[in-house]
Amino acid sequence: MHAIDTPFLLLVFRTVARRLEENRDALCGLDGEIGDGDHGTSMANGFAAIVTALRAPGMAEAPPGQLLRTASMAFLNDVGATVGPLYASALLQAGKVLEARPDLPLSEFSAFVAALTDGIAFRGKARAGDKTMLDAWLAATHAARLQESLGAPPADVARKAAEAAEEEARATATMIASRGRAARLKERSLGHQDPGAVSAALILRVLADAVADTMGQGR
Amino acid sequence: MSAASNDSAARGADRLKAAPSGPPRPALRFGEDPLVWASWLYYEEGLTQGEVAEAMNVSRPTVNAYLADARSKGIVNITIAAERLKTLTIARLLQDHFGLEECLVIPGEGGERSLIDRLGAAGAQALGALIRSGDTVGITWGRTMLAVAQATENRGLKDIRVVQATGGTTAVIEYTPEACARRLAESLGARSIPISAPAILSSPEAKLMLMNEPVVAEQLAALGQLDRIICGVSSLRANSTIHSSGFFDSALQQHDHYHNAVGSIAGRFIDAHGKQVDGPLTNRTLGIELDQIRKVPTRVLVAGGYDKVPAILAALRGGYASVLVTDAATGEGILRADGAETEPSRLSRPVEATATFDTRSRVKKFINAPRDAVTQALDGALRAFPQFISPIEHSPQAIRATTPPRAGKVGLVIGGGAGHEPCFVGYVGPGLADAVAVGNVFASPPPDRVLTCTRAASTGAGVLYIYGNYTGDVMNFDMAAELAAGEGIEVRTILTTDDVASSASEDRAGRRGTAGNVFVFKIAGAACDRMYPLAECERLARKANAATFTMGLGLEPCSLPETQRPSFRLGENDMEVGIGIHGEPGVTRLPLETADAAADRIFDRLMTEMQLMAEDRVALLVNSLGGTPMLELFILNRRIQQRLAARKVAVSRCLVGHYCTSLDMVGASVTMMRLDDELLDLYDHPCAGFAWATAAP
Repeated sequence: MHAIDTPFLLLVFRTVARRLEENRDALCGLDGEIGDGDHGTSMANGFAAIVTALRAPGMAEAPPGQLLRTASMAFLNDVGATVGPLYASALLQAGKVLEARPDLPLSEFSAFVAALTDGIAFRGKARAGDKTMLDAWLAATHAARLQESLGAPPADVARKAAEAAEEEARATATMIASRGRAARLKERSLGHQDPGAVSAALILRVLADAVADTMGQGR
Repeated sequence: MSAASNDSAARGADRLKAAPSGPPRPALRFGEDPLVWASWLYYEEGLTQGEVAEAMNVSRPTVNAYLADARSKGIVNITIAAERLKTLTIARLLQDHFGLEECLVIPGEGGERSLIDRLGAAGAQALGALIRSGDTVGITWGRTMLAVAQATENRGLKDIRVVQATGGTTAVIEYTPEACARRLAESLGARSIPISAPAILSSPEAKLMLMNEPVVAEQLAALGQLDRIICGVSSLRANSTIHSSGFFDSALQQHDHYHNAVGSIAGRFIDAHGKQVDGPLTNRTLGIELDQIRKVPTRVLVAGGYDKVPAILAALRGGYASVLVTDAATGEGILRADGAETEPSRLSRPVEATATFDTRSRVKKFINAPRDAVTQALDGALRAFPQFISPIEHSPQAIRATTPPRAGKVGLVIGGGAGHEPCFVGYVGPGLADAVAVGNVFASPPPDRVLTCTRAASTGAGVLYIYGNYTGDVMNFDMAAELAAGEGIEVRTILTTDDVASSASEDRAGRRGTAGNVFVFKIAGAACDRMYPLAECERLARKANAATFTMGLGLEPCSLPETQRPSFRLGENDMEVGIGIHGEPGVTRLPLETADAAADRIFDRLMTEMQLMAEDRVALLVNSLGGTPMLELFILNRRIQQRLAARKVAVSRCLVGHYCTSLDMVGASVTMMRLDDELLDLYDHPCAGFAWATAAP
C-alpha cells in the first residue's frame, strides 16, 4: 500500500519549492494588487528554507511526522510574515496526524489535506469566503473527502482536490477580503484573485502530481 | 450665427429707444446678450419658450435656436447629479456585460430606509413596468421578496395569477414562501396559487407521492406556465439569513455536496457558474426547478449587498435573470468581480501614464541582491549607529539597544517588517525600545527572532510588545509571547491602531498601525525608563495609542527591492487616500489636489475623530512615506498648523520628516496625539535612538 511517507514528502517539498520559485514574481504581482506585494517572496523563500533544512543528514530516513515538524520550524523561522505562522501551523498539524499514523496510506489522502487545512484555519481564524488561502484549502478538503467517500482511487482524489482548489482560487476574485491587509480595500478587492489561494492551489497541484506519480510507479 | 446676433443686437437697440413703455429690455446684468437672457428666462425663471419669445419680442423658433446655441457655447451646462449618473452608468454596464433586457440600479446611499426596503420598492417598480393583465407570476421567498410584495401597487391589472414558487415552510420567519406569494397577490389584486405542501420533504418518496396528489400537481403545473418570475438569491456566507431561516434542515451544512454552492435560488443551489449543485436535498425539494426558471420569459432578480456579490454573479452567469434590480455598490462589485471595467470617467480622464508605465516600469535601486537587501541595510545601520544599536547573537535582524536595560525595568520590544526605516530600528535606545525584531520587507519577523529580542529586553519585570495591528505580526508576536511565557517572561501586547482610514471609528481595534507608532513607542519607552511597573507601562502605552490618530495620502506607489516595480498603478492625476505603510493601495482613489486641499482633507478627517477644541494640545507629526521631500512636508505642515491655529489648538510638540516610511512611496501622513500633562511629561522624557534623541531639559 502506498503511503504518505518521507520520500513522498521530500518529493513534494522539492517540487513545491521549484514551482514557487518559478512563480515568485507572478505571486508578488497578484499580491501587489490587493496586498503588500510580498507573497511570492515569502512563499518561495519559505519553501526554499524547508528544502535546505531537509537536506540535513538523516532527514531522508526520518519518520514523516518529524520531517513535517522540521519543515514547519524551517518555514516559520525563515519568513515570519503572514504565511509563516499559517503554513507552519498547517505542517505541524499534518505532522501530528502522521506521528499518530506513520503509515497513513494514500487512500486516506483527504485526512492529510484536512490536517493541513485545520492548521491554517486554527492559526488564521479566517472563515470560508473571507478571500484567503483557506478558501482553496477548504475546497480541496471537501472535494477530497467527497471523492474518497465515492470510492475514487487516490490519484483521482488528489486531482479533484487540486481542481477544486484551482477553481476556488479563481472564485476568490468574486469575494470581498475580510482578513489580512486586503481587508482594508473592502469592495476594491473584488476582481482580484487572492494570492494565498493561488499559491495554495499550486501546492495542491504538486500534491496531485506526486500522488499520480507514486501510484503510477507502483513503488 | 453672426446674422442672428446682429439681428438681435439691432432689435435690442430698438427696444432701448422704446424703453420706458415698450417691451421689457434685457437687464444690464445680461450684458445685452440674448443667449444669456433667453437662458435665464427659460431655465431660471421657468418660462415656456413661447413666454420667452414674447418677453424678448422674438419668434419662438429664435428662442429655440438661442437655447440650443447657449448649450453648445457652454453658457448653459446640463449636469446630472453624480450619484444618479453613476447608477445609470452601472446599470448600462451591467446590462451590456450580462446581456440583460433591463437593469435598474438604485443609489448606494438611501438615508433612513434599509437596503432591503429600497430594493423592494425598486423591485416593485420594475415589476409594475413589466407585468400585464392575464399574466401568471411566480415569486420566491426571502426578505427582499416580501419587501417587493409589500411595495407593489395595484394598478388595476386583471386576471393575474401569483404562484408560490416553492412549497411552504413552518419556520418562524415572516418571509415564508406562502407569505411572499399571498402578499404579492393581495397587492396586485390577483389570485394566489399556493403550493399545498412543504418545500423540503422528509424523503424523495414523500416528494413523489405529494407531486402526484391532484391538488398539488395542479398547483405545480402553474409553475410551468409562468410569464414572469420575481426571485431573490441567497448568499451562503456564514452570516446569511438562509442559515437561520429554518427553511433548510441541517443537511445544508453537513454535506460536502454543497461546498461548491455559492448561492440559492428558490431553495435550489448553484455554483459560481450558475450550474445546479445537487445533493441530498435535490430530490426532497418541492418547487420550481432551475431549468423551469430559465424558461420563464421575464425573470426579475432583486438582490443587493456585498455579501451577495458571488451569488448574484452566479445567478447572472447561469441565466436566471433577464432583469436585474440591485444597488450601485453591489452592481459595481459584480462588474469588478467579473473583470469588467467600472471606471465611469475613463474616457474623460487625461491619458494615463500607460506608455510610460510599460516602457519604464523598472525602478532603479541601490541594492546588490534583493534577498540581501534587508540584512545588508541593517548591517549598514549597525555600523552607522553603534552608540545606539547592537546585534543580538550576531543576527542583524534581532537588534538591541547598545545600553542594556537596567535591572527591574520593564522591557520594551518593538518590531515589524523592514522597509519603514527609520522605523522601527531608529527607536531603540535609552528612553525608547530595548530591542527590535525586523522581518523581511513588509513582512513580520518570525517568532524565534521576537523571542530572542524578548530575552534581551527582559530583566524580570516583564516585557511590553508594541507593534502595528497586522494579521501577520499578530500571529508571529503572539506565538513569541506564548514561547516567552513558557520561559517565565510575562509579556503584555499593545497593538497600534492609529490609522483612521483603515476602519470606521466603531472598529477602532480593527485599525492598522502606521506612523502613530512613533508616538506610542516614545510614551511607552519613557514609562519603562522611569521604572514604572508593567501594568502602568501598559496603561500609558494604551493611553498614547488611544490618543493618536493618523491619515495618509499617497501620490506614487512604492517599489519592493524584490520586484523593483511599482506596487500598484496610480494614474498621473490621481492620489490614493487613506494609504498605509506597505505599498498597498489606499481606501479610495481621488483626483489629485493641491497641498492645501490635501492637507484640509486629512485635517477634516482627523477632526471628525478627535474633535479638538480651543485649549486642546497636540503633538503633531508630518511624516514622509519615503519619496516626499521636506520641502513638501513643510508646506503640508504650514496648512495643518493654520487649521489648528484657527481652532485655537496648541501644537505643543512637532516633528517633520521621515519617521515611518513605505520604502520609496511618494506621499505623506499626518499624525496627531492629543496631549494631557501626563503624556506631555512622558513625551519630554529624554531618549536616545538614532531617529529620535531628546536631551534632558
